This record gives sequence, structure tokens and C-alpha cells, in this order.
Amino acid sequence: MTDVIVIGAGLAGLSASIRAAQAGRRVTLLTFGLGGLQLGQGTIDVLGYTTSGETGAGGSGPGPDRPVARPFDQLPGYVRAHRDHPYAHFSVDQVREAVDWLAGLTPDLLVPGDGANHVVPTALGAMRPTYLVQPSMVWPDPTSVAVVGPRQIKDFYPDLAAANLEKTAQVRTKGYHIDLPARPGEVDSSPVAYASSLDDPAFLKRFAELVAQAIGDEQAVCLPAILGLRRTDAWRQLSEILGRPVVETLLAPPSIPGMRLNEALTTQAKAAGVRVVLGSQVTGFESDGRVITAVTLRQAGRDQNFPASQIIYAPGGFESGALTMDSYGHVHETLFDLPLVGAEQKDLLTGDYWADQKLFTVGVGVDDSMRPVSADKQPVYQNLRVAGGLLPGAIRWTEKSGDAIAVTSALAAVDAVFATSAPQGGTN
Amino acid sequence: MFEPASYESNLLARASLDQCVKCTICETQCPVLAVTPLFSGPKFVGPQAERYRHGLVVDHSLDYCSSCGTCTLVCPQGVKIAELNSVARAAMKKGHTPLRDQIISRTSFMGKAMKPVAPLANAVLHNSAARWAMEKTLGIHRKAAMPTAHSHSFSDWWKKHTPPSAPTRGKVVYFHGCAGEFFEVETSIMTVEVLEHLGFEVITPTQGCCGLPMQSNGLFDAARKHVRTLADQLGVEPDAPIVASASSCVTMLKHEAHDIMGVDDESLIKVGSRIREVSEFLLDLADHDDLPLDFSPIEMTAPYHAPCQLKGQGMGRPAVELLKLIPGLTVVDAEATCCGIAGTYGVKKEKYDIGQAVGRPLFDKVREINPDFAICDTETCRWQIATATGATVVHPIWFLHKAYGLG
Repeated sequence: MTDVIVIGAGLAGLSASIRAAQAGRRVTLLTFGLGGLQLGQGTIDVLGYTTSGETGAGGSGPGPDRPVARPFDQLPGYVRAHRDHPYAHFSVDQVREAVDWLAGLTPDLLVPGDGANHVVPTALGAMRPTYLVQPSMVWPDPTSVAVVGPRQIKDFYPDLAAANLEKTAQVRTKGYHIDLPARPGEVDSSPVAYASSLDDPAFLKRFAELVAQAIGDEQAVCLPAILGLRRTDAWRQLSEILGRPVVETLLAPPSIPGMRLNEALTTQAKAAGVRVVLGSQVTGFESDGRVITAVTLRQAGRDQNFPASQIIYAPGGFESGALTMDSYGHVHETLFDLPLVGAEQKDLLTGDYWADQKLFTVGVGVDDSMRPVSADKQPVYQNLRVAGGLLPGAIRWTEKSGDAIAVTSALAAVDAVFATSAPQGGTN
Repeated sequence: MFEPASYESNLLARASLDQCVKCTICETQCPVLAVTPLFSGPKFVGPQAERYRHGLVVDHSLDYCSSCGTCTLVCPQGVKIAELNSVARAAMKKGHTPLRDQIISRTSFMGKAMKPVAPLANAVLHNSAARWAMEKTLGIHRKAAMPTAHSHSFSDWWKKHTPPSAPTRGKVVYFHGCAGEFFEVETSIMTVEVLEHLGFEVITPTQGCCGLPMQSNGLFDAARKHVRTLADQLGVEPDAPIVASASSCVTMLKHEAHDIMGVDDESLIKVGSRIREVSEFLLDLADHDDLPLDFSPIEMTAPYHAPCQLKGQGMGRPAVELLKLIPGLTVVDAEATCCGIAGTYGVKKEKYDIGQAVGRPLFDKVREINPDFAICDTETCRWQIATATGATVVHPIWFLHKAYGLG
């Protein structure tokens, strides 16, 4: 039987599962489809931009977002200015330890943090701040950069990225194309097809030769983030052949670096003994009013109850359907019908494309042990904890904070379980 | 051509396409798209193309879909991608299904036909000249995995079998499937012996084909007829669990007949809710501390492959958890998407190379973990893995049977 049921296989759910399994708990992870990691960038954000709040200096419209150089230094002040932020539940050390814990899980894939944000180029030529990056993304501070892409790849335009990087990264740039379909005859290869082909040493060599022929004497080379799916050293080999640093440039999803991270963490969870049940939706639960005794999984053919002593709920927010808005404008959490914070704000949605949508600050309010609480701050269920995108108070994609919120809340939820109940002895 | 019956049955699946957010997770996991540009991918031929179909086929690359169901399994939004595509392909091929597809989708017929002449049938299936002729005339690839015919069926054994006199637990209805009747007789016998060892009274009704191979070849009318008949046959003991060693056929009864072909007969729904794949059934006993764990150790490390249709049941990988309980045994989940046979897909002349490429990561894993011995729950996948790697490939029940000292 299971001690802990984790619902959701995004960064929060995988982190919670691994943490609980490491502590000797029997964990069952229930997930309706793959988690969101491969729709992210395969990097770990802590805080990328500080938003100045509701209004800008001039008093109208949102203020400018300022890039953050050292996120942990800025967190205390940021939380003071944003009292309802998920980070308000944690100490700075807690966030830092959670992120370091994650980096330690995947030493081949994430460069350990040193307190400073990295900046990673994107397909549009922006320099995106983030905290943990993959080794293929470390920006070498060059004075000149060649931006190179295969003509056949979808959604990567070297000239566009190069022109913008001139401004955003203050470097001399030039865009170049190479002619190499991921597979013979393909005219619009996907990043996945390229990444799989680059797993093959012969293809990688051909790719490197064409890049070498195309570029000039630039100090570094930006390539689309397709440098190997199953092998993680393709970038290193390309860099050696080209004789200069290679940097993976972030693309629109599906993200190859995100797939690498998803694969690494899922493999870790399974290796740690987590029982993963993929492909069925949790549609209901049983409780005695104070404690949830089982959750109901809608499997092929029938509903199956999964009893557990602890539940960690990490389903994501609106994007995964865990939160919905009905035709009356009311927001609901769809599984446990948990009380929501922020749902009563006026103008949850605005027609201004550039403005933040307040709707996305709506979520499930929790205590510091991640238990959902009612308006009078009482836990709704004693053994239910929430982690990740369901927490209210942050628009993660604007401030680039979702990853560390997910990991820190997942660890807080698991660690709180250990503080409140002793592990059960194995009965099998 | 507009095909009312198919589209009517597909209303629910069609409704789900609005939930597609174009995240492309399905395309990143599709094992066919990963190895060939001939298939445009599950999202492209599915939720994208479906909006334009209105009964007409807009993209014939759909025929390269192997129906493995990985796309539906990994979709975080609940889009019935594989189901949509199965129906669209059936509509596309209706009226011109090749003779080959009509033959290879009738497992029972092949088993019955080969049984009286099993040695001869086996000789033909392993004769390169005969296989060359089969490829030329029928389009069955000359190297494709084929079952081994037997002179004795499971039913022959069952008729002579004396069950234990005093069962200590309740009744279970046993579903062996066509392959378990004619080709994998040993697996069926072992399953019965394990269930009887545990104290169950095993009931084995006369049973036909579930229709899955016909369904995946677009022969919906025949498939519906077969699955309805089977549901009636398996429904003999309304209160007993139905336990099956044919894991892919379980999928047909649990949801595919309903989700893809719109069969909503009460008898099917009831059987679908009561049927358990045998590892699922035994693991459930173990989870309730109701499975004897007096196993003899089996010192072995073996790779395990979860068949697509088993994964599609959305219950995890019960065999992996179950086999962990046997001391000495290390089972390594190969974590491969698909073996490439996909029922009858990988035997077809024009799809064979794709099937082999799909299976290659799995074959490599098998060779790396244990080149001589592998584990898989579904018959056709076992034949595929065995043919490609030369390993002996057994159903998980083989280990239970051995660990309980039954063989």
C-alpha cells in the first residue's frame, strides 16, 4: 500500500515524489498525461524579474519589469512588497536549499547555482534570466556571436535572433543558415527530430562540419536547443569541433531541454521506488470530513480507489484544468472544491494584451505546511497538501518564478508530513 | 465517404478535440513519428485534421499510425487522439481493406486452421521460400514475427484437467484470449495453475476473439460482433472477477470497444468493469495483504516491456510491482514506448521496417539487460521481441508459477 499519493507529474509532483521516496515512504504518483516540464525551458527559475506592482512610475499601467541579478538577495524585499506571494511561506534559505537539492539530483543536467542568475538567449533574441541552467546554456560573455540554424527547422530564424541579440546582449552578431534536414527528405523538421538525429554521432559530425563552414570568426555560436535528446554531451562535442563555446538557444515548446529534465526526474522517481500511474484522471475522493481516506482514479473500465494516509496535490493551475472559470465568472478548483484566494478580485480578466491577468493570481490558499486553509485559516483536510502552480499570488511567467515555487512548496509539503506522522512499517 | 455508424460512435472522442491546446506532447512521444517522416504525427492527423474531416480523409499518412495509443496516454488535456485516429482510419479504409488485413486480424481462425497441421504450419512459417511467397502474394513481410502453432490447444488441456477439490477462495472467470488458446498454451495453463494454487475456483467459459485485431485493421462491424459475443460468454458468473492473461485483449473489453467503436451494451460495460489483467489482479491481492509471499527465490535480472495496450489501461505497470515481491529477481523496466509490432502493424510488408525501427531501443535494452530472457504481458509483443533479439520472452505469470514451486 501507499503512504503518500502525489497527484501531478510536473516539477512539483516529481519533486514531492522523489523527496518522499528518499525518506523511505511508499509513494504512488498519479498523473493524467505527462507533466508540464517539457513545455518549460529545462531551466530552473527563482526570480527573473521584479514587477513593480500595480502601477508604474507615471501612475498608469504596469511598471517596467527589472531583471534580477541575484535572486536570493532580492527575495526578502520582493516578498515584503508582495505579501500574498507564495514565497511568503518560505525563508530564503528554504528556497535556496530546495533549488540546490534539485540541482544535486541531476548533476549532469543542471549547473549548480552560485547565487547569481544566468541569462540564456531565446529564439527571439531576448536574454532570459533564470537561475539553474543546463551546461549547454552557459553564456560565455562573448563580444561576437554566430547564430546558426538549419533551414529546415520549425520556428528558428537566425537573422531575427541575431539582430535582437545585438541589442539585448550587447554583442556583435550574425545569422547563418545550414542546409541539413533532420531526416532525408524532410522540409520542416521538428526540434525532436533534430535532437534525436544529433544523438547519432555521424549526424552530429555532419552538422558540425556544416556549421564550421558557414560561420565566420565569431567567438561563440548560438544554436537552437536541439543538441541531443538522450545524450547530454552533444553540445560539448560540437563545441570541441567548432573550437569555441556553443550555447543552446531556447525555442518554443516542446522544449528539448525540458524533455531532458522531465526524463531525468521521472527516471529518478521510478528508481527511488515511486509507483507511477500514467494516463488516468483523479476524479473524486473519499473523506470523513477532516481527513481524505482515498482518491478515485478513473481508469479504463472502472473507477479505482487509492487509499493513502497523505495526499500531495500538485496538478498545476488553469493550464491543466485544475482551476476553471465557469460562465458566471466564478473560479473553481475542480477536484476537492478547495477554497480559493483572490477569486473575488474585480476585473480578473482584462482585454489589455500586455497587462497581467489577475485571474492567474487566483489559487488555493495554504498554511506554512502547505495545507489548504479556509477563510478563517483552518486546514480544510488534515492530510491534504498543495504544491506548485495551484498556489495563489504570483504570475509566474512574468516574474520567472514558477520552478522554485514548485520545488520549494513540494519539499515543504513532504517535509511537513514527516514532522506530523511517523512512517508506517512495511506491511508487505 | 461519410460513414454514419463510425462517426456516431465517435461523438465523445470528437468532443475531446476541443481540449487540445497544441502543446505537442503527443508528438514528442509518438514512436512512429520518431522513426519516419511518412507519418505526420498524432496531433497533425488527429486534433488538427479532424476539424476538416467531416467524414472525408484529408491526410492519408494516417495509415501509418500504429494505434499504439501512446498519444492518448500522454495527453495532459484528455484528448482521445488515438481513438479519433482509429475511427478516421477505419472510415478511410472502409470498403477496400486488403485481403491480408482480413486474414491476419482473425487470430482464432489462424489458430484453428493451423492446429491440425501444426508441424507443417510451423515448417511453412519458418521456410524462407514460403515466406517470400507470402510476402509477394499477401504482403506479410518475410522476416516478420509469427506465432508457433501447437497441436494441442488450451481447451484440450482444460478438458482433461482436474481442478483442486476444495477451493478456499471464491470463483474467478478466466479469459485466455485466442493466442492463449492456440499459440501460448503454456501461459494459459500456468495462469490457471497459479490461480488454483492461490485457492480460487477457476471457471473457463468457451470464448472467442475480442475483436481487437479487426478493430485495429478498421473492420469495425466484425469486431463489434466478436466483442459482443465475448462479453456474453465472459459474463457467466456475474459476481466473480474476470482474470485475463491476454493483456491487450483486456484493453478492448475495458474501453476500446466502447471508446473507439461505440459499443455500449450493458453486458460489455459490466464485463469491462470486472475484468482484471492477471498481474493487476494479483498485485491488488498483495496490496491488501492477501497474496501469499512464500516465493522461492529466482536469481535473475530480466528486462520488462509494458505493452502499449496495457499502458493504455491507465493503471501503471502492475507486473513490475508484483515481480518485485519475488526474492532474488530484479526486473528492469525497459521504459520503451513500443516494441513495433502494434498487433498486426509490424508484420505488414510496407510497415515492417518502421516497426523494427520503433522497436530498436527496446531490443537494444533487452540485449543490454539480459540477452537471453525478457518479460512482456502481450503475446504479439513477445513474438516480436523474441524474433528480433533471440531472447526467450515470457509472460510475468511464468515467474509466479515458478516462485510458487508449480513448475
